[in-house]
Amino acid sequence: MSGKLISFLFLVCLQLTNGANAQRYQTEDGEVVFLSTAALNEFTGESSQLNGLLDMDSGLIDFYIDLNTLDTGIGLRDRHMRDNYLETKRFPFAEFSGSLEKPGPLEFNQPIEVEARGTFTIHGKEKAMEITGTLTRLSPSEIQLETGFQVKLGDFDIEIPKLMFYELSETQAVTINAILIKADL
Amino acid sequence: MNRSLTYLNLTLLLLFVQGVSVAQLERKLANADRPTELTFHAPRHINLLTVEPLDKKVLHFAIMHTFGPLSGGLRNLYGLDNGANIQFSFEYAFDERFSLGASRSGRDKFYNLYGRYHLVKQTDSGSVPFSISLMGAAGVNTADYNFLQEAAPNVSERSSFAGQLMLARKFSEKLSFQLSPMMVYFTDPLPVFLIEGEQQLYLALGFSGKYKITGKSSLTLQWIPNLNNGLRNNVGVGIDVEAGGHVFQMYFVTSPALNEQYLLAGGNGVPGEEFRLGFNVNRIFATGQN
Repeated sequence: MSGKLISFLFLVCLQLTNGANAQRYQTEDGEVVFLSTAALNEFTGESSQLNGLLDMDSGLIDFYIDLNTLDTGIGLRDRHMRDNYLETKRFPFAEFSGSLEKPGPLEFNQPIEVEARGTFTIHGKEKAMEITGTLTRLSPSEIQLETGFQVKLGDFDIEIPKLMFYELSETQAVTINAILIKADL
Repeated sequence: MNRSLTYLNLTLLLLFVQGVSVAQLERKLANADRPTELTFHAPRHINLLTVEPLDKKVLHFAIMHTFGPLSGGLRNLYGLDNGANIQFSFEYAFDERFSLGASRSGRDKFYNLYGRYHLVKQTDSGSVPFSISLMGAAGVNTADYNFLQEAAPNVSERSSFAGQLMLARKFSEKLSFQLSPMMVYFTDPLPVFLIEGEQQLYLALGFSGKYKITGKSSLTLQWIPNLNNGLRNNVGVGIDVEAGGHVFQMYFVTSPALNEQYLLAGGNGVPGEEFRLGFNVNRIFATGQN
């Protein structure tokens, strides 16, 4: 009985120390690009305020952006995007949260292909997704993450504007490039 | 057995709780104090200017029409046979706060130069409860008065000026409202001008309202009670529709006037029986952007 209690307390301690030593890498200024390629009109929405967390121990991966920071280069198009389509007042964030398949040790400047399974959320709708990307260790405290995936707007109840001065593609190609820095805990 | 299961459960729970508590990043808005957007659909709302700013280096084009009175009936196709008073205007934004524009109205061949300055912008968080903008205009009537017995009026006598303060609030996603104290000055309000007023100074209070009925259309209202004269007040009701990067504005209004000076001095028909059909098209041209 007391042996079990001790082992339980030991586990508790292990968890706590494990938490304290976690290999957590974070960023607040990752770059994300939404590329819309329609028949007559191609444009991007870009933000360099991607927030991300990568925990190399638990494999946890968690990213989000404030969609209000997306800039397409035309103010009116941005306002329509925020107010009529993404409805950023109700749903300000696009997020991906999931876990990384164990990538093994990262060598300096050796990109390693990794896969993450998780949930992508935008416009208040969730969808399970598998995303592949590369991780590169740039220095003992920096890891670069590069990835790209497709988002179908219809899957997230985002209306495609009709009869507008811009044409929006149903499928958006999302590219992410972020350098995550080891967090001090 | 039961006990060890309990411990196992507790351990798993602990793992889970710990996993969750350190798991996700806290979601934070990049800017918690964003300026309110799209208080109105366009810089124009029926006949009045609004607090709606233009982005830097953006050119706004508006073409506005008012037709004859509806009282002409079907024979005159409800005023459309009378021809229209038409105003073209171009307004260019030098930055997010300041823009300059020029317009030309058919009635009295009137050219107007105007500027808007956005002093205060409402924020979504409520830290600034309303937007305030200023407007000033100087215009000249270029109609041909050579038919007059006396000498035709000179440029100074043909000139008129307008000033306006615009105070607006977007109360909700649907409802926006603007209060616009206005002042107009005619150097020489000659009887031959197409205005009813005979005095130089005109004061009025403009009310503009917008009620969104769908994502891209709104019901609109305009009421401009005069404050220092006996002229009838301006009343307008209409609908704004966004389509293809244009904002179409269709309305019934009591005056053919399309610029501030003529709106205040021009006089108005009786609301209802002397309504006129009006129609604006607003278009934005983004220059120097991609």
